[in-house]
Amino acid sequence: MTSVLRLCDVSVDYATPAGPRRVVDRVNLGLDPGGTLGLAGESGCGKTTLALAVLRLLPRTARVRGRVLLNEQDVSQLTWGGLRAVRWAGASVVFQGAMHALNPVRTVFDQIAEPVRVHSVERPAVSALRERVRELLERVELPPERARAYPHELSGGQRQRVMIAMALACEPSLVIADEPTTALDVVVQAQVMDVLRRAVRERGAALLMISHDLSVLAGTCHRLAVMYRGAVVEQGETARLVTAPEHRHTRELAAAFPTVGDAGSRHVDGSAGSEGRGNALLSARGVGVTFVDRSRTRTRAVRNVDLEVCADETVALVGQSGSGKTTLARTLLGLCRPDTGRVRYRGVEPGSSSGSLREFRRQVQLVAQDPTGALNPRHTVYEAVAEGLRIHRDVVGEAERVRAALEAAELRPAADFVGRFPHELSGGQRQRVVIAGALVLEPAVLVADEPVASLDATVRGEILELLLGLRRRRGLSVLVITHDLGLAWSIADRVAVMRAGELVEQGPVERVLTEPEHEYTRALLAAVPSLPRVVD
Amino acid sequence: MTTGGPSADVRARRPSTLAEGWRAYRNERGGVFGLAVLVLVVLLALSAPLLTDPAGLDVTRVEDAPLQPPGAGHWLGTDESGRSVLLLTWWGARVSLLVGSCAAALSMVIGTLVGVTAAHFGGWTDTVLLRLTDFFLVLPALVLAIALSTVLSRGVFTIVLAIGVTSWPQTARLVRAQTLTVQTRPYVERARALGGGHRHVLGRHVLPAVLPLVFATTTLTVASAIIAESTLSFLGLGDPSRTSWGAMLKSAMDTGAVTAGAWWYLLPPGLGIAVVVLAFTLCGRALETVLNPRLRGEGR
Repeated sequence: MTSVLRLCDVSVDYATPAGPRRVVDRVNLGLDPGGTLGLAGESGCGKTTLALAVLRLLPRTARVRGRVLLNEQDVSQLTWGGLRAVRWAGASVVFQGAMHALNPVRTVFDQIAEPVRVHSVERPAVSALRERVRELLERVELPPERARAYPHELSGGQRQRVMIAMALACEPSLVIADEPTTALDVVVQAQVMDVLRRAVRERGAALLMISHDLSVLAGTCHRLAVMYRGAVVEQGETARLVTAPEHRHTRELAAAFPTVGDAGSRHVDGSAGSEGRGNALLSARGVGVTFVDRSRTRTRAVRNVDLEVCADETVALVGQSGSGKTTLARTLLGLCRPDTGRVRYRGVEPGSSSGSLREFRRQVQLVAQDPTGALNPRHTVYEAVAEGLRIHRDVVGEAERVRAALEAAELRPAADFVGRFPHELSGGQRQRVVIAGALVLEPAVLVADEPVASLDATVRGEILELLLGLRRRRGLSVLVITHDLGLAWSIADRVAVMRAGELVEQGPVERVLTEPEHEYTRALLAAVPSLPRVVD
Repeated sequence: MTTGGPSADVRARRPSTLAEGWRAYRNERGGVFGLAVLVLVVLLALSAPLLTDPAGLDVTRVEDAPLQPPGAGHWLGTDESGRSVLLLTWWGARVSLLVGSCAAALSMVIGTLVGVTAAHFGGWTDTVLLRLTDFFLVLPALVLAIALSTVLSRGVFTIVLAIGVTSWPQTARLVRAQTLTVQTRPYVERARALGGGHRHVLGRHVLPAVLPLVFATTTLTVASAIIAESTLSFLGLGDPSRTSWGAMLKSAMDTGAVTAGAWWYLLPPGLGIAVVVLAFTLCGRALETVLNPRLRGEGR
């Protein structure tokens, strides 16, 4: 049987000033017509490089060894014209981050029609193109009128569907999807995956899907391959691989995405009963925030929200992107002023004078979503951590306290890190520095906005472990804002579900996530990709 | 601070980033050439009182024949009153460079202040300051400078002021745009969440991020300020008691040196202006390329 794609001993080296660096190491993979293969791995493990090597899309500094056979043709032997013919008509790519992969100044119609035009022998009639684009848009479940829209007029999920329609435009025998749903929230992710799955199956195209999330791949692909440091460490049938992983790294990947409802992935003892504990540290009563944009349209980002964070508890605020979670968090931190309602800390409203606001901010600290952006690239780790102390003019024993905070955030030994700049640290280490910067002020509440969303699977687990440990050792209350219900399940005592600026349901994690009362919570839970539980 | 450890470490790191910047700068051939020319010109200008006798600039104390062509006695000839053109050009460089850099510094300070304030505080402050910037931007700078130097007493300071207050809008616009970008960075939000006020956010995060760009623009502004100074002096609005390149060109015109074919009187100050302006422009462009990674690496 002929295969659509066969990789024989493929290695990729990048030329660097320090000599060649091996990114992909002797990979062997095969994909039959109509088959689906998932490629899992952390960022930097070489999975995207491998995918781009299929179409020879790598930069000049890359050197590919081994054979890449696409429809039994060696890609490296193709002439420039032959390569162009194969690109898109033989294999197409759904790129990561549809926002950047679409041209902002051209309409959806132009962009979907482009590959059709380029691959037609003679100039196709506009009416024929229009018909084709209409058909493609229907296949990805977008209304045909959207062909006239520009990318910025579409939502993230819609953009990703346009990318899928583009990928299908020339009826390729292979579609490569590189992290097609990374930036999307669970509900939209489920919809996009559904569209991709169906569109590929209907046309009998093979699918090579790349993701760091094993559960997303497990729902779509028949076979899985796990990459680690450039090499494929394990591959096989999906059902076998997720239930009985052989390699340590596969197990780590599987464990990083906890399953809601599974007692094994729950890391807190929620039975203590956290309802009605009474002594609220941070509370919001009837909080509403309204934004007015340039065209004077009023958007009610948060409406009438009541939320409490008590001493020694972890509260998760979950919801889709755009539901107002981050706005609510900024309001709780005093970074954004509520139009209605009140935010109180220990029953006292933080005043609007800079002095009392400053005192309040000592107690309630932020851990931002993206640790790379949250650290000033010009400041060393020491300066970043000491910043809070300097703001509060509390510099007695500064160096000692910075060291203690760094060690509390498990950056040991602290002396190794103080002099470094953020770009010399890994993503997980940066997030630890941000956490240390918050801890140094000894706050009572930590507001963590998607603390692990931008981190790799295995690092995620470590950061969550750190947050849990801080709570255990210091009794630090944490408000975690996330779109990931699995995260809420694994570390929170209570969960609050937010939709379109309103809290639709809140209560102990065990109740809300296993017996949801509100239909929206049920919809969110249904959209979570789940992994058949790994048997250790 | 109790320990020297971390901060000493930081002190050790700062020069290394500087050294890295210098390495990148050295790759810009034009920039290195411009810098070499500037260093030479500035050294010469500074050493003028040491190497030459200012008495040669005094009309009452020279005895040479007027408008002599270049020769053994005077390498670049003499002017209408018998002074050495070489000496005049040498001393003229001092005024041109002084006025150019002071005016550029003034425009940098005003521009940065306006730009940062407008972007940081936003709202009404932004609207008012932006309108003010637009007003100065559309105003013909030369006309305003002429008006200012006519109203105020004549002198170097007036020229600096006239150029400074007319050339800041571009800097202000640029700084405002850069501040807006920097302020959306999560680390600014983090600083605010830590309790930092305006002074902290501006001093520790915004200004350090904006200043490199400001320096690059200022270098370019010096070039245009030197031209503006020459223009104003040429129009007779400069300090009559001091020699500058523009003033030399003016007296060459006034005394009929041009019609007399005294090319040696016109060329040195003209070339001086051209070379110094070119050098500043080359340096400014190279700095921009080094500081803005988006420009780096393109076209190689």
